[in-house]
Amino acid sequence: MARRLRLAFLALLAIAGATPAAAQVRAVDLYAPRAFGYVIGDALTLTADITLDAPFTLDPAALPTPRALNYWLDLREVRLDDHGVEGGQHRYTLGLTYQTFYAPLEPRRLDIPAIALSATDGARRVAVNVPGWSFLSSPLREVMTSTPGQAMTLRPDTAPRMIPTAGTRHALLASLVIALGALAVLAWQMGWWPFHRRRARPFAMAARAMAGALGSPSSESAYRGSLMALHRAFDTTAGHGLFAEDLPGFFAAHPAFRAVEGEVRRLFAVSRDVFFGGDAPGAQRALPPGELLALARRLRAVEREAS
Amino acid sequence: MRVVRETDSVLSEWREQALRFEREIARVVLGQQRVIRLLTIATFARGHVLLEGDVGVGKTTLLRALARAIGGSFERIEGTIDLMPADLIYHAHLGEDGKPRIDPGPLLRQGEDLSVFFFNEINRARPQVHSLLLRLMAERSVSAFNRDYHFPHVQVFADRNRVEREETFELPAAARDRFLMEVQVAMPADEAARRSLVFDTRFHNVDALLTEVKHGGLDPATLETIARAIQSGVRTSETLETYTLALWEAIRAPRAFGIAIDGVDMDRLVHGGASPRGMSYLIRAARVRAWLEGRDMVVPEDLRAVFPEVMAHRIFIDPVYELRREGIVGELIARVFERVPAP
Repeated sequence: MARRLRLAFLALLAIAGATPAAAQVRAVDLYAPRAFGYVIGDALTLTADITLDAPFTLDPAALPTPRALNYWLDLREVRLDDHGVEGGQHRYTLGLTYQTFYAPLEPRRLDIPAIALSATDGARRVAVNVPGWSFLSSPLREVMTSTPGQAMTLRPDTAPRMIPTAGTRHALLASLVIALGALAVLAWQMGWWPFHRRRARPFAMAARAMAGALGSPSSESAYRGSLMALHRAFDTTAGHGLFAEDLPGFFAAHPAFRAVEGEVRRLFAVSRDVFFGGDAPGAQRALPPGELLALARRLRAVEREAS
Repeated sequence: MRVVRETDSVLSEWREQALRFEREIARVVLGQQRVIRLLTIATFARGHVLLEGDVGVGKTTLLRALARAIGGSFERIEGTIDLMPADLIYHAHLGEDGKPRIDPGPLLRQGEDLSVFFFNEINRARPQVHSLLLRLMAERSVSAFNRDYHFPHVQVFADRNRVEREETFELPAAARDRFLMEVQVAMPADEAARRSLVFDTRFHNVDALLTEVKHGGLDPATLETIARAIQSGVRTSETLETYTLALWEAIRAPRAFGIAIDGVDMDRLVHGGASPRGMSYLIRAARVRAWLEGRDMVVPEDLRAVFPEVMAHRIFIDPVYELRREGIVGELIARVFERVPAP
């Protein structure tokens, strides 16, 4: 009973809604391209201008979705442009792109079906019909060839379009340059190959300082200063303060200096006498300033060969 | 000139004797050459020594051998928690006639020419005992029987093990400062030495082993004279003085010398210490080391050789780092010698 009542009510509503429907939909104008000369695979774009009375809007849920409509016709794209309300009228442009896959044997008229949309103002709902359309589809070639031989020569495939790579290539080049630069900075920091000669040459510096100080006539303080300079050079080369007792370890770590081992030991013995034995004159006799300078130069040569 | 030559020849004669003394001890204590050398230095510098190490590495054997090799009278006492100063000085007992008697205790028993006093497990004794020891070490005298006893030749050797910390009393800084050296005794690193220590039956009976050491190589009274001769006979140059002061400065302000230790805030590491007494002890020990090496001048190597033992326990570091003390102070000293330029 209740169900029957509800059905009756719904029917009443439908009648009430249908009566003013014509008034709600002002116009549906379909614009189509040429109606002939289509072959298999062609795309057709239909445009429908829809004008509604103001409170009504097109229901987007009622729009068709791109899909295969039947075995030969695909709906490829549906685009709805809303032009807004102007002068109490709501305008839309509906763009529909179809593609035909029909392979006719002779020219043939094909139909694109009408589309039923709906518009609503919230309470009422009216139907909006976009009318169907028809076009003439033609075959690509004749059914029977009149001349014997090859019916049709296949055209060569079009060359594939190159993927644009310029941007990627530039980015690659830029990052390579950055990486190489960073590597160079690291090598400089660590004293690696191209920069390994950058390491200060302590004996070269000492020899330079001594050449100035030990010029004629050399004083005792200059002699002491020269010994100090040599000791600092040894300290720098060893990486820590180097005493006479550490010499075996030094020669083990820096085998290049073995060539001058005897002279280095003599130097350390003399420097001990000068600094701790208080026997500077005796030390100067044991290792005259000239010989000291010569030793510094030999050490510099050894250092240059070793580095 | 004649006097100088005499001193020189006496010193070199004594050097032979010192080296013999070292060899005697090395015969019964294996793989501890460095410790023996340090103890020899301490003996000829007339300084007191604290030995520290694990249990059973031969501290006591070493000291007994040393005492035997020095000769002179020798006393030893074991530190216990209930040991009181009076136990060292007096010996209370019942005489044969049944009457109570007070006799001189271990410290006084040998009279005033006691030459080696050996305090075993010193950190088990109470602070009262430490203070008695402090006086004995600093002034070489004690008061007993209403008078002062003087021990002009006494040399105190103490040992403590570092494994146990329970029921022990930490030595006060003042007492530790009186020790010339604090020597760490470790296991012998040499594998042959370890092997013989374990398997050679000769090392199993310590008493029998010690009889191999020739008794009384050095006369304590002469030792005193020779120690003075060494101190005046071995030169320190002005350069070395400058170097020593630089070392001292570097220990107290390591940051200024660019010294850094991993995981340690160098600004707050060293609180103080390296007292002037410590530095004078350092020079004293360095002179003896130079003499043992056959030199008549102190060189930086001498300072380096004795520095850790003489100075490490005088450097006071932040309590935060106290638990890692040995490693940190050892590294600090090594860095200081690497950084401070010599000569």
